[in-house]
Amino acid sequence: MTNSMSNLVKILESFNPFVEEIDEKEIKITVSPDKVVAVLETLKANGYSHLSLMTCVDWIDDNQLELVYILFSWEDGGKFLVSTRIDRSNPKFVTVKELWPVARFYEREIHEFFGVEFEGNDDMKPLFLELWDERPPLRKDFDPRDYSRKKFPDREYEKDVIKEAKIFRGEING
Amino acid sequence: MAMQELPKKDFFAPLKAWKFLGKRPVTIEVPNKVKREASDRYRGFHINDWSKCIGCGTCSKICPTDAITMVEVPGLVRDHGKLPQRPVIDYGRCSFCALCVDICTTGSLQMTREYIHVSDDAEDYVYMPTEKGLNAKRGLYEHGKAPLGWIKDENSDILDLVRVKMPMEEPEVRVKSFIEIVKGYSKEQAQQEAARCVGCGICTYTCPEHMDIPQYIESIYKGDLEEGLRWLYRTNPLSMVCGRVCTHRCESSCSVGVRGEPVAIRWLKRYIIDNVPFEEYDRILNIRPEKKGKSVGIIGSGPAGLSAAYFLSTMGYDVTIYEANARPGGVMRYGIPRYRLPDEALDKDIAFIEALGVKILVNTKVGQEIGFDEIAKKHDAVFISTGFGLGRSTRVPGTDHPNVKQALPMLKMIRDYLRGDGPKPPVPRKLIVIGGGNVAMDISRSMARLQTMEYGEVNVHTLSLERSFEEMPADMDEIEEALEEGVEFHPGWGPIEIVIEDDEVKGARFKKCLRVFDENHRFNPQFDENNQIFIEADMVIEAIGQAPDYSYLPQELQEKLEFVRGRIKTNEYNQTAIEWLFAGGDIVHGPDIIHGVADGYAAAKGIDMYLSKK
Repeated sequence: MTNSMSNLVKILESFNPFVEEIDEKEIKITVSPDKVVAVLETLKANGYSHLSLMTCVDWIDDNQLELVYILFSWEDGGKFLVSTRIDRSNPKFVTVKELWPVARFYEREIHEFFGVEFEGNDDMKPLFLELWDERPPLRKDFDPRDYSRKKFPDREYEKDVIKEAKIFRGEING
Repeated sequence: MAMQELPKKDFFAPLKAWKFLGKRPVTIEVPNKVKREASDRYRGFHINDWSKCIGCGTCSKICPTDAITMVEVPGLVRDHGKLPQRPVIDYGRCSFCALCVDICTTGSLQMTREYIHVSDDAEDYVYMPTEKGLNAKRGLYEHGKAPLGWIKDENSDILDLVRVKMPMEEPEVRVKSFIEIVKGYSKEQAQQEAARCVGCGICTYTCPEHMDIPQYIESIYKGDLEEGLRWLYRTNPLSMVCGRVCTHRCESSCSVGVRGEPVAIRWLKRYIIDNVPFEEYDRILNIRPEKKGKSVGIIGSGPAGLSAAYFLSTMGYDVTIYEANARPGGVMRYGIPRYRLPDEALDKDIAFIEALGVKILVNTKVGQEIGFDEIAKKHDAVFISTGFGLGRSTRVPGTDHPNVKQALPMLKMIRDYLRGDGPKPPVPRKLIVIGGGNVAMDISRSMARLQTMEYGEVNVHTLSLERSFEEMPADMDEIEEALEEGVEFHPGWGPIEIVIEDDEVKGARFKKCLRVFDENHRFNPQFDENNQIFIEADMVIEAIGQAPDYSYLPQELQEKLEFVRGRIKTNEYNQTAIEWLFAGGDIVHGPDIIHGVADGYAAAKGIDMYLSKK
């Protein structure tokens, strides 16, 4: 990691982070949920002012959801991935829209696809899906095939697909 | 149709729209109204190369929208490793996610950059992709000219093409003893290997016994070995043996093997048997047939005999096996070397068959200890599976010398010696083996071990008519392992004579073989008489094939039976021309254990049909 990044990691030591170096310019910091906002603020104050992405991972076997904030520094081109895990059965977290207004939309998206509530962000209208009535679709227990079968029953086609294919292949004349 | 309901229209909706009237549009108009090409990696309509597609149906299984159905195509043949079916895609369902392309086992299914297809006829949205792709209406490209879009690369490829490495004994270690080479998978390794299976089932068609391969592999993946054991015993009571030494034709047809290494089906089968304790078999398999009150006599306790005994006893018949040797198992006990198949592996399979009530009478050679007629009188039906026990000789001058041996008796002597049943076999310092099949490998490698144990060095020369390793009938694994152990191969040489001086074998002379088979694929070797070599040796072992021994069959029966090139002709249920006499194994089909198991299964069904009618 770069000098400025290793200095920052030292500053963050007080939050008991688990630090993984992904590559020279990318470091993952995992902390407990209550430390996330403080870590984000510290990083923001030290050049990591750009929230590139906010996303979520479903760890269904651990009954946890992982929230990931990706921060980028325009000063040294480094990236910090700040990660924490929250309870999957009642997923709640605090909004960071006061730090980055754009987080409003990321949080709406994560709410829509993973079902996480963000306290302090009241705008949880669906962002992408229309008339969704199933569990959030990026949860690992969502069965896309089952949903597809339920919502879109099979259609009986009359066309002779084999004959058509054979005509396309030049095996028989159409 | 359970279509989704649209939101109720707002009464003022049209008014709301009016406010946009004066605004400039946000969308950009296509320049000159030309239809724009999609990006290089666009996921458009599919194409499928029929010459590559094997009909495995993996695309259909992975499709998250249930858009792909496999449809049988009349005119396509069910070939080795191929099913006569092709995917049909319903574009009313397809979400263009490209998972089908990313998992395609052969790489035949791809996507083009064609994305326009406009039709008001719903029938136009279902189609069986071919090399030419969809005949898109109002599309961008002429039919068959759409460029490729999404192509899977090593990042998007979902198949795991590399096999979990099997822990094996190193060549320097294994050549010093008869210790089993393959050590078997751990639980983690087995589950990881099982996860590579796509469950297409092409292997099941290929397996002579049609074992439920995807099913037991899934059991391993789930960690449910009891279920796995039940799947194995549905079709194969010799799974521990087959899990070690099966010729695994299934793996040669594995769809994952088209682009990568096939799933290690044989070793996964072995993993189940190795890890279920024998004491649990009875509870898990729970075989409790109603007794039929009829009995079947089986001659020979090789793979076919044991298999028939197992299936017959699960149907409720009383079964007695007559075995000439001191231990049951036939070629599995006396032919295959111990480093490939230890006695313990065979014992477990046989113990369960005996536990079902099958009586195995050893040291009972039919024609000597008991007459064939007596067996025929005692039982309601008889199954013969006596195998190919006689060796064949090249009959070149000198082969009648006592130090020119046959592979099978030597292999038997070695196995008996190793288990303490017999004397030490003679170990030559220099050995010539004649033959290019698996038996030749077995004897070469066994003798290499004995030489290492006796003299600390290997001196085995193995010569075959076949001119390359590819042409030799032996498995490539066997050849490679023999090479590692120090066996020297000379492919493409035919024997002229065994050189004997002062009544002792000094070696053998060979001539160059130019071709083994003629234009009609008949065995008809041709030689270059001027190109000869001499190889020194004090023993020669011939391993050029085996032959049946029917001397136990009474003459009048032999006359009634039909023979085709030394093998007995039967119907599909292994019934011979004599209705109460069934036959199987090498004397009917050959050439391997799994064919023997399949024969036993077919014969058991045939015997049951015959005895039910009687």
